[in-house]
Amino acid sequence: MQLTPEEAACALAAIQTSRETMRSAIRAHRGHYHLWLWGVIWIGMAMLAEFRGQAGIHLFPWLCVAGIAGSMALGFVQGSQIRGSVDKRFLGVLFAVILFSALWPAVLRAPYHDQALFAYLGLVAMLCYIIAGIWFDTYLVWLGLVMTAFILVGLFCFSAFFWWWIAVFGGGTLIVTGFYIRYFWR
Amino acid sequence: MPELDPIIHQPVRLQIMAALGNLGSHEQVDFTFLRIKLGLTDGNLGAHLLTLEQAGYIAVEKTFVARKPKTFIAPTAAGRRAFESHVAALTAILKPKGLS
Repeated sequence: MQLTPEEAACALAAIQTSRETMRSAIRAHRGHYHLWLWGVIWIGMAMLAEFRGQAGIHLFPWLCVAGIAGSMALGFVQGSQIRGSVDKRFLGVLFAVILFSALWPAVLRAPYHDQALFAYLGLVAMLCYIIAGIWFDTYLVWLGLVMTAFILVGLFCFSAFFWWWIAVFGGGTLIVTGFYIRYFWR
Repeated sequence: MPELDPIIHQPVRLQIMAALGNLGSHEQVDFTFLRIKLGLTDGNLGAHLLTLEQAGYIAVEKTFVARKPKTFIAPTAAGRRAFESHVAALTAILKPKGLS
């Protein structure tokens, strides 16, 4: 098969056009809606705790349920266009991590402290991000590491205004990352 | 020395392989979504996908989502390698002689 340089240039230009079209479409499926949704939920939880105290903290599970339902709905809609293959081993790993993380503090009767418990659950969520990032080779590993650092710094260095810290550096980081993924990734 | 692949070089198949190359290694794209993004007809896309599938360059999975039939497409490892080799061959044609 022989081609002239002009024909080769034409073919490469067609490849570039097709790549850019699809890249833009795929970028919309890289999880930014999930990051925006959970960013808003993190801010919502932090503000409820800051302004309504225990009454607000009691609403956390409902916000999480709303977030999980929203993420499932997003996954269903977006999965009808571009989907990842179901990896049962990955789901098994996540299930084990979440089960053990929820089980042992309860079994061992860890002392209850609002900020520490929120940080702990946030760290478990970030561990799931890191595992997903390593497993599927995505940006989630870096997001998980950065969020882990923010949570720990907030808990140990800025506990006096922990909830504001979580709203800005937790929820804010998720939302900003969502914008980056949507408009600048790859 | 990379060689041109006559199966991939056909303009529509070139377009398809370029588009599919953006997918992650664990991702699949819906037939209708791909058809709309590439501006092709059902028949045209279907025929070229069949050729690519027979060459082992893509994997096609037919399934049901919410009781509706869906077709998902993903490039195979061999398809990705063949496409990258084809792109390298095209790039080599553009390079002035004497340069490696």
